[in-house]
Parts: sequence; C-alpha cells; structure tokens
Amino acid sequence: MKSQYFAGVDIGSTMTKVVIMNRAILASVIGPTGPEHRKLANRVMEEALTRASLSFDDITYVVATGYGRINVPFADKQITEISCHARGVSYLLPEVRTVIDIGGQDCKGIKLSNGRVVDFVMNDRCAAGTGRFLEVTAEGLGVKLDDMGRLSLGAKNRVEIGSTCTVFAAQEVVSKLSEGVPLPDIIAGLHEAIATRIYGMVRRLKIEREVALTGGGAKNIGLVRALEAKLGYPVLVPPEPLLTGAIGAALLGKDIVKKAAESGVPLPRSERRLTEATIFT
Amino acid sequence: MTEEKKPEERKKRRTATEAASKIGAMSKAMTLGVAQAKEEGKPIAYTFICCCYDEIIRAMDIVPHWVENYAGICGAKRDAQRFLERAGAESFSRSLCTYVLCGLGFDAWREELGAMPPDPPWGGQVKPDMMLGSGQILCDPRNKWFQAAQHYMPDVPVYEIGLPWPPYEYDYDYRQVQDYYVKYIAEQLRGLVVFLEKQTGKKMDWERLSELVDLTDRTWNLIWETYELRRAVPCPMGTGDAMNTMVPIVFMMATQQAYDFFRELNEELKRKIANKEGEIPDEKYRLIWGGGLPSWFALTDFNYFNSKGAVFPVETTYRMVEAIYNFDIDLTKVSDPLEHIAWRWLKYWTCWYDKARKRPGSHPDVERLIQYIEDYKIDGIVMHEAFSCRTWHVGLIWQLNLLKKVYKDMPSLILESDIVDISSYNEADTRARIDAFIDTLEAVKSKKR
Repeated sequence: MKSQYFAGVDIGSTMTKVVIMNRAILASVIGPTGPEHRKLANRVMEEALTRASLSFDDITYVVATGYGRINVPFADKQITEISCHARGVSYLLPEVRTVIDIGGQDCKGIKLSNGRVVDFVMNDRCAAGTGRFLEVTAEGLGVKLDDMGRLSLGAKNRVEIGSTCTVFAAQEVVSKLSEGVPLPDIIAGLHEAIATRIYGMVRRLKIEREVALTGGGAKNIGLVRALEAKLGYPVLVPPEPLLTGAIGAALLGKDIVKKAAESGVPLPRSERRLTEATIFT
Repeated sequence: MTEEKKPEERKKRRTATEAASKIGAMSKAMTLGVAQAKEEGKPIAYTFICCCYDEIIRAMDIVPHWVENYAGICGAKRDAQRFLERAGAESFSRSLCTYVLCGLGFDAWREELGAMPPDPPWGGQVKPDMMLGSGQILCDPRNKWFQAAQHYMPDVPVYEIGLPWPPYEYDYDYRQVQDYYVKYIAEQLRGLVVFLEKQTGKKMDWERLSELVDLTDRTWNLIWETYELRRAVPCPMGTGDAMNTMVPIVFMMATQQAYDFFRELNEELKRKIANKEGEIPDEKYRLIWGGGLPSWFALTDFNYFNSKGAVFPVETTYRMVEAIYNFDIDLTKVSDPLEHIAWRWLKYWTCWYDKARKRPGSHPDVERLIQYIEDYKIDGIVMHEAFSCRTWHVGLIWQLNLLKKVYKDMPSLILESDIVDISSYNEADTRARIDAFIDTLEAVKSKKR
C-alpha cells in the first residue's frame, strides 16, 4: 500500500507554517505572511515538500488553518485554528488541559478534555494582549523583537505601563526611555502588561493544569515568565510553539482520511491547486 | 464618511417564518406612520420599550415614537454612523449607549437644520410634542437621554417615571415588600396620566384603559404560548426571527395588531411542527441566545449559524413576557388598571426568584437560563457583549460562570461588537469565532456519543 502523507498549513497574520507528516513530522517550514508574502503560501508549501523529498501529488490530504485558511487553493479542507491548536498540543503534550496561544494579531485560550476542545475564548479586537503589542513597542524602543525576552530577564525594578492601548503604550515606553529608565525594566513592564491582559481573558475558562503556551508569544521567555507568575506555576512550551496549529491541521487531515476509510464514505476533498492565493482577505 | 453620504444597504436576513418576513413592512409602516400623524396634528411622544405605559398612551391616542427602535433601524440599514458622528461632534462620550448617541445625533442635526437630515431612514425621527422617560434598573441611560435631548428641544416637556422592582436576595422573600413597590409604581403611572391629560387637554378614558390592559394580558399569554412552541425538534423558528417578532412585543403592545400578529405566528408554527418543518433541514445544534442585544447591522450572522447546522430555539433577549396565568397572583381580581400594570411589571421581574432560592448559590437570571436550556434541549450558549450597552454587558460573564458552577459546564461563545456602531464589527473575525464554536459543539457531541 502506498504511504500516506498529510500536510497542515497554518496561515497566521505574521507567519505561515507548513508541516508534512506521515507517522511523524517529516518536514516543517515557517515563512513570513507579511503583505508581500500573503499570497505566496504555496512557496512555503513547496519548500516543505522539497525538505520532505515529496511531490505535491504524494500528499494524501491537506488541511488549512489560521486566519488565512479560507483562500488556500491547495487545501482539501479548512479547519479553525482552535481545533487545530487543540489537536496539535494534545499530540505533543497530552497532559495539557489549557492552551494559551499568543499570535501576531490575536490571543486564544482553549480548554481541553481528552484532547477535545470543550471551551475557548479569543481576543481579536485589540492589539493589546497579542504579539502586535510587543512588535509595536519593540520598534519604539529600537530593540529586535527576538531580543525582548532575554533583555527583560535583567530587570531590577520593573516599571508600570499604565496605557492599555498599544499605540499609547508605545508612546509611554519612549518617554520612559527618555527619562533614563533602564531598558530591561521597561521591557519587563511591557511583558507584565500583556500578561495581565492575557491572563484576564483566559481566566474566563477556569484554567486547569497543565497549561501550554503556543504561538510566537511562547518564544518570548520574559512573557512566559510573566504568565507563569500570574498562574503561580510553570507552563509547558512545545519545542517549536509556532507549529502546533499546522501539526494539528495535518493530524486532523489524517483523522479525516482514516474515518473515511473506515466508514467507506468517499473522502471529502476539493480540487486543489498548488498555486498562489488569488484573493486574500 | 461625510454626513451627506449614505452607505449601501446590506442583504436582508433570510427568515424562517412568513410572519417574521412581514415585520420589515410593519415596522416601516409604523415609523412612517409617526410622520403622518405629525402632519395630522396628533400628539407624538418619544417613548422607550419596557415602559409600563403602553396601554396608557394608547388609551389617550398619543402616538409613540420609539427612539430605541429608530436607532436600531438606522443600525440595521447601516446608516447610523453619520448620526453617531454628529453626537460625537456634540461632545457626547463614545462610551454612552449608541442608541442614545444615534438619537441625540439625529435630534441635534434635525433641530439645527429645522428639517430632517438628508435622506433619513424611513422618514426620520420626528420632533415630538413630549418625551416620556422610563428609568428603571434595566437600563440606566434612559434616565438622562431625554434630558439631554431637551438641549436641542427646550420647548418639548419631559416626564420621567421610575419603575423599580425588589432586588433578589437568596434569604429574603420579596413578597414582604412587594406591596410598597406596587404602590410606588402605580403612583408613578397616576402622575403620568395627570401629565398626559394636561398636555393633550383630554381626560383619560378609564374604561378603555381597562380594555387595553386586558388585551395586553391576553397578548402576553399568547406570545408565551407561541414561543413555547419553539421547543419542538426540529425548531420551527429561531432567534433571528425573534429579533423581528420582537417588534410587536415591544413597540405594538396594547394593540389588536400585536395580538393578531401572534395569533398568525402561532398558527404558522403549529403548521410547521405538524409538518416537521424546521428552520433548517438538518438541525445539529440547538443554541440559546443567552443575553445581549443583537448587532442590528449583522443579523445575517444568524443565517451563518444556520449554515453550520445551528438553530436558536430560545433567547432571553426581548422575551419580555410571561404567562400571566402562571403568576402567583390573580390579576383579574385587580380592578384598578394602573395597579394591574404595576403588579404585572413586578411579577414579570420577580418570577424566577423562587426557583433561584431553591438552588444554593444560584440567581434568577441563571435559573431562567437553566429552565430554557432544559425545556428547549440546548447544546450551547451564545451571548453578545455590545460594548455600548452597559445594561446587558454587566453580568453576562458572571451569569455564564455561575451557570457552569451551579448547573453544568457547556460550550459557550461570547460575541463582541455593538448594537448600532458598525465600526465595532468585523465579519471575518465574528465568523471565525462561530466556526470555532461549532467545532467545539461537535467535539462535545462526539464525546457524548
């Protein structure tokens, strides 16, 4: 019997992630989604296929997720990021009951029971509490986003960031800088502000251990520490927290194929083309 | 957007019932009828829903101009922004209720022009002869709205009444104080009658008032019985339609038209149930609209839920009636029509108190949800936090958490937007949330199988 391969494509606001799996992860690629790359998710997919030494026709089933999932011409099915993150985290960290996903433009809390979603909350209304908050403030501080976490660990006297609005917070940090406040203290204050927002939202779910952090925010050690302080215990972070949605998408594709085979019902699939997305909302 | 420009109207929501599909025309005729009445010299009053004075103004031939309804119409037609912006230019806070802002923006603009603003939805909001406030625990802006409107219409008198009800206490039977409340409310209504007699130069016809009170009782019973039919599986009518059929409930009460409408709807639902005709062909998930006013500009979201196999057999919003015959008082024995209205009001707001006291830690609002969840076989809850509506905003999450604590955990979805202000709404994000919620419902159902 021919080997089966499954692809998960997670098109987030900032990054596009592709994972190819059979029994394990064969290849994964993370590429930018930004304005120029929005319609080029197919390139990320091609890169993943190259790394897995496969052709597109070898892929049995492709599931797209993320906010850009609707316009992926090479996907067989679209599934929400909530379900995909849940599936991905349960695969990587089966003991997890609560997932906090901090993405580029939204933040989600997902409650799991036996690997299934039982409740969720989302913030997609306000940049505060998302990766965008840190992007904007990092720019104001003249610091690379990737360095924010490490720098904040050197804080001696964390400042209070009063503005809950991202735009005003960016102004506030610049004025703190001009007052001579050390950079680590300001960044630690930013992490505290974003952690407070996220924790306030996710608390609606009645948070249960173990808690996993995913998304770009989980790569920021300062933010991870700030959230752990709110929770009062350590959180789990997958080896590559950006990939959980794509992994979940691939696994859900595998589930769909398996279920179809077992039931004898033809596989639901669309006419897929490995081409650019022509319309991207 | 400039003040002169109007946005394109949006595609209408698909209704499940014939009755609901007629509401647009009924509502339009009602609104246009106010302008007509003005021309004919009939007295026009700005009025609020849940006001307790429906029968009183009808008995005195005063034409109600429902200001919350007019703001909702502007919102539904996606033509509210220019009025909101106008209120903003008058320095009213954006954190006020957007019904209020829309109404005040319209009034300010109309009074400045000395004529209707350009191309107003459905003939516009007509300058009234009086404004009848109806402040209550339910909605705090209603105490100040008409006072602020007087800035632009200093010649239009305001009469304000208060409509309290006893607060819920788990260890205290409200019946110990109910007589005081009824007396207070009845006195408020008596004062209103005096005011209206003075404004219109006409005496109250008490016999006619009693007839209208009786008509309202019968209409309440009929509405309750009609909505109870929605328990059927498949559900013949959802909340999307109920957001239409609220029009006769809150804007046409104490009229034969409202009674006839629900008689027709009742018959239609019975027909659909006999034919096993649901709102959608393949009903998978039954949801409750558990609180919050809807986004009037986005009612097609209910169709989106439908497209995913979800129906809403019940809602707490705008279900402003109970069966009179289920109250613990025989209202037919209350001869004074104003006291009758006061008792009906009080019993409506306290009718879940006894149930709540029987479940430790519960609350009447939560008991109502629990009762509906059981009666209507509900799988999940949807609520809407409309940012500008403090009345509904306060306590929604608390209710949800309490429900999960005293009853059971169940999937829930909180939508976030507004009633009128379309700038608060993002269709793609809203539908992404709905998609995720449907996934959750499916996961929970699969677990039970």
